[in-house]
Amino acid sequence: MTPRAWSRLAVVAVVALVVQVGVLDQVIVLGAHADVMVVLVGAAGAIAGPSRGATIGFVLGLVADLVVPTTYGLSSLTFVLVGFAAGLVRSLPGDRDGRSVQLATCIAAAAVGTFVYALLGALLGQSIALDRQVVVVALVVTLGSVVLGVPSVQALRWALSGADRTEAAHPVPSGGSATR
Amino acid sequence: MASTTRRASQRVTLLMLVLASVTILTLDYHGEVSRGISRVRRDVLDALAPVQRGIAAGLHPIGDVAAGAFHYGALVTQNARLRSELGAMQAQLAENHFAVSRAESVLALEGIPFVQNIVTTPAQVISSPTSNFADTMEIGRGTSAGVAPHMPVVSGRGLAGVVLDAGSSTAEIRLVTDPQSSIGVTFGTGTRASSAIAVGQGFGQPLVVDQIAGRPPHVGETIYTSGTDGGAYPAGIPVAVVASVRTGAGGLTTTATATPLVDLSALEYVAVLEWLPQP
Repeated sequence: MTPRAWSRLAVVAVVALVVQVGVLDQVIVLGAHADVMVVLVGAAGAIAGPSRGATIGFVLGLVADLVVPTTYGLSSLTFVLVGFAAGLVRSLPGDRDGRSVQLATCIAAAAVGTFVYALLGALLGQSIALDRQVVVVALVVTLGSVVLGVPSVQALRWALSGADRTEAAHPVPSGGSATR
Repeated sequence: MASTTRRASQRVTLLMLVLASVTILTLDYHGEVSRGISRVRRDVLDALAPVQRGIAAGLHPIGDVAAGAFHYGALVTQNARLRSELGAMQAQLAENHFAVSRAESVLALEGIPFVQNIVTTPAQVISSPTSNFADTMEIGRGTSAGVAPHMPVVSGRGLAGVVLDAGSSTAEIRLVTDPQSSIGVTFGTGTRASSAIAVGQGFGQPLVVDQIAGRPPHVGETIYTSGTDGGAYPAGIPVAVVASVRTGAGGLTTTATATPLVDLSALEYVAVLEWLPQP
């Protein structure tokens, strides 16, 4: 990824953080609120592939963890896994660049990401009870991702435009190295 | 071949990022690094506080009424002028209601009987929980106003939580419903006084009261901070009302659930008690 793409990604991350803390955190439904960060990670994976999805997830996780009281790095670990898994969608046959596929990936990432976060948090002693409330939180976050999916995909497309957006964009010639 | 190489590269990237995340997680458990991370977090929350305050104010219904009044004022017809006046009057009415409500909220923090002689710092709640898995909220007062970690936070009705972390102009409060909240409580008086531990179960859930020493509580009984759980809270602050009592098999153990007295979902103003646990 180019420095321009990283700087645009930084802008997206800061705006998302302000929106999360300023607006989304204030709209509590059934004791939970929407989470734009995990939706962005899903969009990153769907647009840029597994490696970059995981890398962007790592960075967005570090940013997201700045405003939550849980152990620092928990969101990063979750988002790395979610970003990578979302990127694997690109290996599926069919129209992988379609908006509907990317939106569906964002929604799935939000649902899976919430469960992964709760599970990892419980394993790391964060006193997160794996009970009905986790399902409620996942439901609220997933419903929120339906609304946040389209702007998130747009934002990530803008951030990554001009960059060699997907890992598949530069197929590695036979016998070459995929490492850049 | 290319595909296999790419897949191997992807796995290496994933492994490295997972290791990096685990390393950061581990470092956060280390005292010195954890303090540094806390400092950065406080600075970020302090920086975001003006945005939160502005949006919190903007979300208030008064904003909608005022916007409506402004819209009507743009029309030039008589009808529009009348509507504009009506809108302005509604705005004024809403503003009055808001002012009265705010005044009541603030006045409720004056002379709270259970606070006794402890100095209090009133503060506005500027943010709801930032995590779906931790019951915390943010207030618009920090170390510059004398707020410090471990200070109890109350409303006019009872205990709301405790200061978890404090920046210069904001502080993070752990609510009594947070699963990590554990409060030494007492109920009853004189020889009929019992002690127990009230543990948070998450947002909207009642507290679980167990480890009851003495007679069990009865439904509708108010539980208060005991002041004996290592001195984490001053004694005598109302915490919750017992909602149910259950005796275990054999009648050997009794647990109860209790509803917090403070409506944590509608808190606008709180008072921070300038009281710290004894070391």
